[in-house]
Amino acid sequence: MAQPDKHLRNFCIIAHIDHGKSTIADRIMELTGQVSQRDMEEQLLDSMDIERERGITIKLTPVRMFYTADDGNEYVFNLIDTPGHVDFTYEVSRSLAACEGALLVVDASQGIEAQTLANVYLALENDLEIVPVINKIDLPSARVDEVKKEIEEVIGLDAENCPCVSAKEGTNIRDILEAVVKCVPPPKGDTEAPLRALIFDSYYDNYKGVILFVRIKDGSVTVGDKIRTFLSDKTYDVTEVGVFAPRLQPKGRLSAGEVGYIAASIKSIQDVAVGDTVTGAERPAPAPLPGYKKVQPVVFCGIYPLDGSKFSDLRDAIMKLQLNDAALIFEPDNSVALGFGFRCGFLGLLHMEIIQERIEREFNLDIITTAPSVSYLVHKTDGTELYVDNPSHLPAPSDVEFMEEPIVKAEVYSPPDYLGAIMDLCQDKRGVFKDMTYLDAHRVKLEYRLPLNEIVYDFFDELKSRTKGYASFDYELCGYERSKLVKLDILLNGEVCDALSTIVHEDRAYQRGRTLAENLKDAIPRQLFEIPIQAAVGGKVIARETVKAVRKDVLAKCYGGDITRKKKLLEKQKEGKKRMRQVGSVEVPSEVFMEILKTNKDKR
Amino acid sequence: MAGIYLHIPFCKHKCTYCDFTSFPDRLSFAEAYMACLYKEIELRGEQLGSYTFDTVYFGGGTPSVIDPTYIYGAVKQIKRRLRLSKNPEITIEMNPGTVSEKKIAVYKRAGVNRFSVGLQTAIDSQLENLGRIHNVRDYLYCASLLKGENFSADVMLGLKGQSKEDVRKTIEIAAESGAKHISMYALTPEDGTPIYTDYLNGELPDGDEVARLYDYGRTLLKEKGFSRYEVSNFAKKGFESKHNLNYWKRGEYIGFGVSASSFMCGKRFTNTFDLDEYMKCVLSGFLPVIESEDVKEQDAKFEFVMLAMRTVYGVNAEEYRKAFGSDWKEDFRDAYRKTSRYLEEENGATRIKDEYLYVQNQILAEYMN
Repeated sequence: MAQPDKHLRNFCIIAHIDHGKSTIADRIMELTGQVSQRDMEEQLLDSMDIERERGITIKLTPVRMFYTADDGNEYVFNLIDTPGHVDFTYEVSRSLAACEGALLVVDASQGIEAQTLANVYLALENDLEIVPVINKIDLPSARVDEVKKEIEEVIGLDAENCPCVSAKEGTNIRDILEAVVKCVPPPKGDTEAPLRALIFDSYYDNYKGVILFVRIKDGSVTVGDKIRTFLSDKTYDVTEVGVFAPRLQPKGRLSAGEVGYIAASIKSIQDVAVGDTVTGAERPAPAPLPGYKKVQPVVFCGIYPLDGSKFSDLRDAIMKLQLNDAALIFEPDNSVALGFGFRCGFLGLLHMEIIQERIEREFNLDIITTAPSVSYLVHKTDGTELYVDNPSHLPAPSDVEFMEEPIVKAEVYSPPDYLGAIMDLCQDKRGVFKDMTYLDAHRVKLEYRLPLNEIVYDFFDELKSRTKGYASFDYELCGYERSKLVKLDILLNGEVCDALSTIVHEDRAYQRGRTLAENLKDAIPRQLFEIPIQAAVGGKVIARETVKAVRKDVLAKCYGGDITRKKKLLEKQKEGKKRMRQVGSVEVPSEVFMEILKTNKDKR
Repeated sequence: MAGIYLHIPFCKHKCTYCDFTSFPDRLSFAEAYMACLYKEIELRGEQLGSYTFDTVYFGGGTPSVIDPTYIYGAVKQIKRRLRLSKNPEITIEMNPGTVSEKKIAVYKRAGVNRFSVGLQTAIDSQLENLGRIHNVRDYLYCASLLKGENFSADVMLGLKGQSKEDVRKTIEIAAESGAKHISMYALTPEDGTPIYTDYLNGELPDGDEVARLYDYGRTLLKEKGFSRYEVSNFAKKGFESKHNLNYWKRGEYIGFGVSASSFMCGKRFTNTFDLDEYMKCVLSGFLPVIESEDVKEQDAKFEFVMLAMRTVYGVNAEEYRKAFGSDWKEDFRDAYRKTSRYLEEENGATRIKDEYLYVQNQILAEYMN
């Protein structure tokens, strides 16, 4: 058995959002000369526009570096930057499986946070060596010793000699690299065994086909090799292998212990799954590597092309996104109002937003999304159970014994000034108060149990507006609870518009129905006939508004000089019509399906 | 059937709603401008040798503001350079604040046989608000000079503070003054005009209110013997405007003067909107056309329907077939199916039902491809 290179170190960085993970990664790359100061863009690894704009990391990004340590040896580092937000935990868990060690970055002023812990446990589950790093020591509010103590007490890691750095100012970054050399073990594996490479990510390149991001566990792979995966029986010829520099850099061969990429002209997106194992076609390994736990989506919505004829483009886009976002799930869906589209599941609201934004930006598609929903557990009268996330799939009320809805444990952090406002909001959203902790004189942590369906509605916007943006908020799913839920239907001119149906708590139905009807009244343009808008629960109308028939829509004058101009006006009108969806006899602007559910006039 | 339009871009004072090409401060250019207009007619003369024109229309601006001999000269020039049919309809637009017995006599001598008078409203305060230079007395004087002639009165709807009563008074004055034809237009506040400010500030009646005034006015006009033959045009039997009907039948027309539009040989084209450029161009012997569009067949078919649907005569299947060699209901199958409940048939023609004529854009947009 041949050991992998003992000068190899594979590690990732885990941290709470905003504790400086990406900046540390930047500094490490600078120090190892991977990127010259001149080429340095802020937060180099956050290459997506959305990441830079929002200052968050969504995707894991690997990079390979060289480092000459104090012991005189040159080491190869593979660093994998990972997202911090709870919605992207699955990304973190994937990168962990490719590493032997993890830097745990803790903010010197804020200390350990919920998310830090969650990721530490993930790392421990994966048998990773954890190296604590205290960042932001330049801050006046830095409390290095206290934070060290916290790390020792809360996590049980020895933090006495841990690197204390300021990524912003570049202080003590070398300490981190030395700690990696000393504490993170070199990879294990057998370079001569049959190939086994874990796919931890992938994306689609228009020229090279699917690019697999892999960690080679056993054996090696060279250009020209024939490979296959365990989930598909197709074989492929390897056309390129390489490492992350951080852009793709070809290299003749990848051996056990290394992190890199494989291109093999894989054209069919369906043939590749993140978590699967690549092996040699001629000398396959007997068994795959343990994959990832399948993630369960929490938030759902329908996504439809704005222009109905773009359905296949949308399918393409979603499939390509899924290629490097295994947590995105989707199935074809057909709405009477919106035509063909997809029902998609996400790990959270941020995840949903990011996917919607990526479809629009990276694939240049205009889409309609329906109101976010959660997955309800329906107990039917015949004793069977099913999960329903699409309101139009809800069984008839007579067939439903009772329903359960997902509940989250929510933590809201805020300056004490806004406690009252936050508590009011949580109360409004059917929240149950659990605990309140003063973290220091300026920060309070509130814990609530909240129904997830209240959060997906407009909780976040409301929280931000009621606390002038000061509060931050995190949540995790903690189970299902029985609840009085009903399906709220919207009827336009007497016909149910399926894309506007929602599942709401019984106590909310009237208010929500009225708001929806009012919003729709403003959003639906007047047409040639009067349009009644009704909100109904179980066939009983609970609110009604009317869009009056249009009385004047005419070009007053149309003589010689007006004809061309009037044609243009009508053309515009026709364009407007194209953006509308036909719901029975009523034309509904596509925007309505989204805007109507985002804006909440309940309080105004 | 083909028409001639002549644009006279001068006026005494620009009305607050006006977005036509007109230059209130350049009346002194009239002589030079008219010389150019004659020249343009001459330039076109050879090209249009094969055409016979049935109507002539002087629009503006205010054609009646310039010396009437220019009008006389223009008609003469037309007769010299182009061919007119035997009894052409010759119309001139007039502002009641600019007429005199003498002027009208000259027009008549020139061959003008139809007058279009801008009454707008019979409420003086509203006239002032519109920036009109005339009052109701001026109009009545003008009408008296036109006694027995074929004249039309323009009235407007949607004015600031306008009530049903105001509309009634206006229509009564127009009808009783002897007009054979009444055009009733809804005010269109165009961006860039002074009245747009009123619109932005919500001081003008909204669409629903205008529609109510329109329905009221329409009923009143009917009682007085004026039948609607187009969205905004009402006439006593036999007094419909031939010139304007030609537009709605998608007939050909040639426009002369600054900003004038034409439709000839399947092309729509427009003259420059710049007075100096217009004159320079024509004097150098060039046609002052700045925009020209070849109307493609599909577009032409749409135009045919769009224009015909403005009138109560509707789309005549036979005329459409003659023009395009196809069945219009086939050509617009989906749109027709979608809108047929708003349409009605009579004598091989399809028109928009009375009650939907004023919301016709909703219907027409379906026919756009």
